[in-house]
Amino acid sequence: MSPSPASSQSTPNDVVRGTLDLLILKALSLESMHGWAITQRLEQLSREALQVGQGSLYPALQRLEEKGWIDSEWRSTDQNRRAKYYELTRAGRRALGTEAESWRRYVAMVDVILSTS
Amino acid sequence: MEPTRWIKRWRKRLRALVRTDAVNRELDEELAFHLEMETRKNMSAGMTPDEAKREAKLAFGAVAKHQGDTRDARWLAWFPDLSLDFKLGARMLRKYPIITLVGGLAMAFGIFAGSMTFEMITMLQNPTLPLPDGDRVVKLRLYDVEESRAEPRALRDYLAWRQSLRTVTDLGAYRDLPRNLIVTAGDARPVQVAEITASAFTIAPAPPMLGRTLRETDEQPGAAPVMVIGHEVWRTRFASDPGVIGRSVQVGDQYATVVGVMPEGYAFPISHELWMPLRLQGLDQAPRAGASISIFGRLAPGVTLAEAKAELATLGRRASAEFPNTHQHLQPEIASYTGSFNANNTDVIMAVIIPGFAVLLMILVCGNVALLMFARAATRESELIVRSALGASRGRIIAQLFAEALVLGAVSAAVGLAATDFALRRWGGPFLVENMGQLPFWYDPHLTVGTVVYAIGLTFVAAVIAGVLPALKVTSGMGARLRQAAAGAGGLKFGGIWTVVIIAQVAFTTAFPALVYLEQLMLVRIQTFEAGFPSEQYLATMIEPGDPISLGSDPQAVAAREAEGARFQSALAGLRQRVASEPSIAGVTFIDRLPREGHREFLVELDTVAGAQSRVGTTANGTAKVPLDEIQAAHIDASYFDVVQAPILSGRGFTVADLVPDPRVVVVDQGFVDQVLLGRNAVGLRMRLAYGGEGPGTMSDQTRPWYQIVGVVKELGMGAPTQRGRPAGVYIPTVPGSQGPTNMVMHVRGDPLSIVPQVRAVANAIDPTLRLTKFQRVDQVTDGIQWIMDMWLRLTVALTAVALLLSLAGIYAVMSFAVSRRTREIGIRVALGANARRVVVSIFKRPVTQVGVGVALGGAIAGLFLLWVTSCGEGSCSSAGVVTVSRVVTLVLYSVVILGICLLACVVPTRRALAVEPVEALRAE
Repeated sequence: MSPSPASSQSTPNDVVRGTLDLLILKALSLESMHGWAITQRLEQLSREALQVGQGSLYPALQRLEEKGWIDSEWRSTDQNRRAKYYELTRAGRRALGTEAESWRRYVAMVDVILSTS
Repeated sequence: MEPTRWIKRWRKRLRALVRTDAVNRELDEELAFHLEMETRKNMSAGMTPDEAKREAKLAFGAVAKHQGDTRDARWLAWFPDLSLDFKLGARMLRKYPIITLVGGLAMAFGIFAGSMTFEMITMLQNPTLPLPDGDRVVKLRLYDVEESRAEPRALRDYLAWRQSLRTVTDLGAYRDLPRNLIVTAGDARPVQVAEITASAFTIAPAPPMLGRTLRETDEQPGAAPVMVIGHEVWRTRFASDPGVIGRSVQVGDQYATVVGVMPEGYAFPISHELWMPLRLQGLDQAPRAGASISIFGRLAPGVTLAEAKAELATLGRRASAEFPNTHQHLQPEIASYTGSFNANNTDVIMAVIIPGFAVLLMILVCGNVALLMFARAATRESELIVRSALGASRGRIIAQLFAEALVLGAVSAAVGLAATDFALRRWGGPFLVENMGQLPFWYDPHLTVGTVVYAIGLTFVAAVIAGVLPALKVTSGMGARLRQAAAGAGGLKFGGIWTVVIIAQVAFTTAFPALVYLEQLMLVRIQTFEAGFPSEQYLATMIEPGDPISLGSDPQAVAAREAEGARFQSALAGLRQRVASEPSIAGVTFIDRLPREGHREFLVELDTVAGAQSRVGTTANGTAKVPLDEIQAAHIDASYFDVVQAPILSGRGFTVADLVPDPRVVVVDQGFVDQVLLGRNAVGLRMRLAYGGEGPGTMSDQTRPWYQIVGVVKELGMGAPTQRGRPAGVYIPTVPGSQGPTNMVMHVRGDPLSIVPQVRAVANAIDPTLRLTKFQRVDQVTDGIQWIMDMWLRLTVALTAVALLLSLAGIYAVMSFAVSRRTREIGIRVALGANARRVVVSIFKRPVTQVGVGVALGGAIAGLFLLWVTSCGEGSCSSAGVVTVSRVVTLVLYSVVILGICLLACVVPTRRALAVEPVEALRAE
């Protein structure tokens, strides 16, 4: 993850710890893409609010592939450049569902706690 | 997961493992692509190519670290790097030869001790029967639950089981018959004969080397008597005669024809050398009567031991109902052939204490090696920090140090296992024979696969202790040190756990030689325990009657026993006469146990004038002392004192007239007079003997006979050399053979062993069934125990030497480390004018305290141990006369010596500390 700049404003520009896997799965659920494209897609989806550090991205991709949730293959890009493309497997799609659900539950729970006066 | 995906995934995994370079190149390419895309993005935002590239790189961060992290996330990511770690580990062995030597030696010794213990315990506790389906071979017996003992007279039951048992097949039985084999006239030597059913050769099949094995037809009445001989008998007694088949040879008092020779090593059922058919028809088959037999068989296919037990229990209940008089309390039992009938009967010493000691030793050894490794790792702190800065994770550094320890452990394991195999082959067999007598055929001490696996496990544990623990310590807080870039600034310290390790090590080193001292005392005692006569001029042999003693209390059995006894006594009388007439024999006599062989122990009760014996007596010079009440007794022939030329000190010796069936006279030795009578006159006193505990023959039994002391003789090796204290002996006159097997002792002119063949020939002529074993010179009695004690002593000395070496190396490491950590501090102190004494005190205060505490603790343990061992007799402890000035001085001196040796290890680092130049110290940073 990229180091978050010292800021008094609490913009979630850093990927919340533990959610990167979920975000990658989400990004890949739309289409297969290479590593750089994943970072761009996540930044775009978050309207530039999130920055995915490459230091975390590639180990995470490796980890997800090891779990069998994503698969990879080398393909040519539009510019005829060789790149490694990742795609969601069926297990990955299932995992995305359960992970997203548990994330929502977690957020709701934190919200309940925070809204308690 | 779909099969194709699964296959693809595994292909990728294996590729990452096998073609690491190619996969790494792909990762580089992927990351380069990422950078390129980022650069392009920056350029499209208006940056110059150089700016765009720099920005992209900045945003990306340390490429090498990302590569490392990504590689670490792979399956078995550590595996390819491990080979590098192993190479590095091997290099470290060469780079630090002292640590390699000391640590390796220690680990090798730990593995040696561990695997040796494991092998022996596995062999004794859970031996494998080297037979086809060995784990299904079983033994069966009858057990009298009321009398808590086995009932060997089980012939009737064996026959019944053979008829009806379905869960056990190939049921067979044997009688254990030690017999004389007489191949050439006059050469009668005992062999271990098994009268056995032919099924033995189905349970333990082996093609005979010559001829055939026993057949069921051989067991039929009227069949020609035959025998199968073992390889060793064939080699030694028949001079490997290839034409031995068909020869008729005398075994005991009958002749039989040799029909087969078994291959080398064949000794079923236990350690037998000759097999003859078991003819049941000729034996008494009444319930609980007749011959003693042992029963064996094999579990039927698919049957478990529990099922066989259940069926046997049913048969047992049936027998109880059928023969209530004999079988009411008998219970049939079944167990694996090499196992115990009582599954709960685990030997605590064998199962817990010895392995526990071995593991403790290993932990201690590894703890110390860990200390050395930590010191080595600490001196390499800078290197490790650089590695960390270059992207190595903590796990990688720990893996590296683990691999280094594993390399050292592997080399040590190889050395330790080689030593184990050597020791087992060289000493394992003799050691077991010395302790157990004849060795069952399934005991073959050598290194087994199980032990190698155990040693590998032990090596891993050792590598974890010696590698991972120091690695955890070295790498903890490394991030902080990395940020401070303060390698070598004293960030690492030997903490609490290391203090414990050092103290334990020093205490162990201090305490352990107490055991050596004790063993040394024992050995000296064995070597100096005199027989009291020139025992090297005497030949002894153990003589046993040919037939197994008839069991039972019915009149028939009693009469048979009496007849056997009379026959044995008369044979001995004849033997004595004939042997004594040999020109080289100066005298022949008999004793139940040889001098220094250990004699039967009794409690003695004196018939004092006052009628009651006071526990506190008065010695001849008037001091109060508790008289000894434990004595050793020997049954001897009337001629014993004359033949061993022992002078009678007062009173008289024995005469033939004393050999009445119930002798009422005894001769005591000087030890008895000094300790039981406290120097009073013995002759004329009455005494009686008692067993310890309760029941007939014990102190409470008032029907015990009184004996009159008729004489006093010098001390003649009563008791065993391993016994503590001075023995007190009582000699009871006995007709040779009336107490069962006896030792014939011959005073020989010339070499005693040279007359063995003549004695055998004479015995054979008188009664071929007489079994003469254990021919030895009387001074050789303690050879066996001396050999064992000597071996233990060597082992303990080696152990102590290793412990001492390790302690010194550990302490040296600590000292050396303390100095290297504080080089700058020492330099500044010296620059500021601190004197040498102060520097020494400040630097070595902690290690010297540790050594001091260790020595004090070890000294205390050793002292308490010696106190306990030397003061506790059998069942009682007394502190009187144990704490002597000389003992305390010895202990203190010993502790001082150990302290001195430990402090000696500090000399070099101390000198190095003082030689540090202030400028040099500052430059070191």
